[in-house]
Amino acid sequence: MTDDKDVLRDVWFGRIPTCFTLYQDEITEREAEPYYLLLPRVSYLTLVTDKVKKHFQKVMRQEDISEIWFEYEGTPLKWHYPIGLLFDLLASNTALPWNITVHFKSFPEKDLLHCPSKDTIEAHFMSCMKEADALKHKSQVINEMQKKDHKQLWMGLQNDKFDQFWAINRKLMEYPAEDNGFRYIPFRIYQATTERPFIQKLFRPVAADGQLHTLGDLLKEVCPSAITTEDGVKKNQIMIHGIEPMLETPLQWLSEHLSYPDNFLHISIIPQPTD
Amino acid sequence: MAENEFLEEKTFKQHCAKFIKHSEEIGDGWEWRNSKDDLELFSDDSEVVGPAAASEVIRYEYHVLYSYSYGVPVLYFRASFLDGRPLTLKEIWDGVHQFYKAHLLQEPWSTITQQEHPILGQPFFVLHPCKTNEFMTSLLENSEKDNRNINYITSWLSIVGPVVGLNLPLSYAKAMSQHDAKPDCYQVSESNLTC
Repeated sequence: MTDDKDVLRDVWFGRIPTCFTLYQDEITEREAEPYYLLLPRVSYLTLVTDKVKKHFQKVMRQEDISEIWFEYEGTPLKWHYPIGLLFDLLASNTALPWNITVHFKSFPEKDLLHCPSKDTIEAHFMSCMKEADALKHKSQVINEMQKKDHKQLWMGLQNDKFDQFWAINRKLMEYPAEDNGFRYIPFRIYQATTERPFIQKLFRPVAADGQLHTLGDLLKEVCPSAITTEDGVKKNQIMIHGIEPMLETPLQWLSEHLSYPDNFLHISIIPQPTD
Repeated sequence: MAENEFLEEKTFKQHCAKFIKHSEEIGDGWEWRNSKDDLELFSDDSEVVGPAAASEVIRYEYHVLYSYSYGVPVLYFRASFLDGRPLTLKEIWDGVHQFYKAHLLQEPWSTITQQEHPILGQPFFVLHPCKTNEFMTSLLENSEKDNRNINYITSWLSIVGPVVGLNLPLSYAKAMSQHDAKPDCYQVSESNLTC
């Protein structure tokens, strides 16, 4: 019988086979071969693509290189979104490998945040964790931690160390015995077809009568158009980490087991494939 | 230790409404954007900087959004040259008054980072909200003690705004404190920023 803890490992070690190709208009001294890499779903593009950068820079002149950025089918990829989220939202129903184009010039200032160093990624990651704990525990748990605990969370993610990360993160998954869950659930719902980047609202995991709210309850409340059907036909897939959890799943359980390392549930709504 | 003064959504709306009313009175250009789920104050400002010979016009945009996660307002801003080229954080930082630079470096209650605007999805600079509660709590406590009426938005914006080139005319403070019990009006001035 699978333990709930196995879910945590499966989520952490999820990978997406990716093929990186240099943008054809980049100036190269010789032909640039594509570069293949298994990307961790729970990490961030600029954190795990040093080898990609080195590979392509080998065939370019220094003066033709400025900040690296990635694009999929014309859409600049937001490095500050977890890789798994980007894939689920933009490419989950296309054939593998995921084909990403690499750019070294014409950085799209209006679309992408700059990522000058690893410190930027760390700051962003910690900022998300703090916001998640503000929602779950009024920031009490994360503020009580020492700086070295915060560092351990970041190092665990950066170095792909599941045990190191969860030794600290488990504290962020606890709640007082008298409550049935967190104060509010940290979540963001993404839909590529909408104007706004995501939906995020205050939502409690437990109803007034003590019943646990489900994923379906959440969607009905904050994004009802996502789950309505046209003549009983399912319009959309509700995807987290490449799977569609049952709508009856308690939100509290999802938050504890299917959150990304930043402690948020990043949920994608994508059109139901028609094949 | 005093209870943290979280700003509730309803209160945020009320304070913004009073703020907008005054803005309209003096033609200050703030707008209220209220869509189904979001609360946002917006202002568009052009400023000429630099010596006359090499002067540039820089367009600043300021957005005040309500953060449900932290229960505080958050200031989002960006600046661009007229040709659309955005200013880098360094260029914006260079435009911050020396006084505030020193203050910010000493007490980073307002770290500025680049983040995605949650409604527009575009890169903006943001003053990090997690310390807002601390300084607003003491401000609100003190004003209660002295029986002064203050507007949360006006007070908050007058503290964090100048750090990023946003200066509110003093008339906001006078307008907000119209219901004072005392005859002397509370004035927001530069020296008060050390609260």
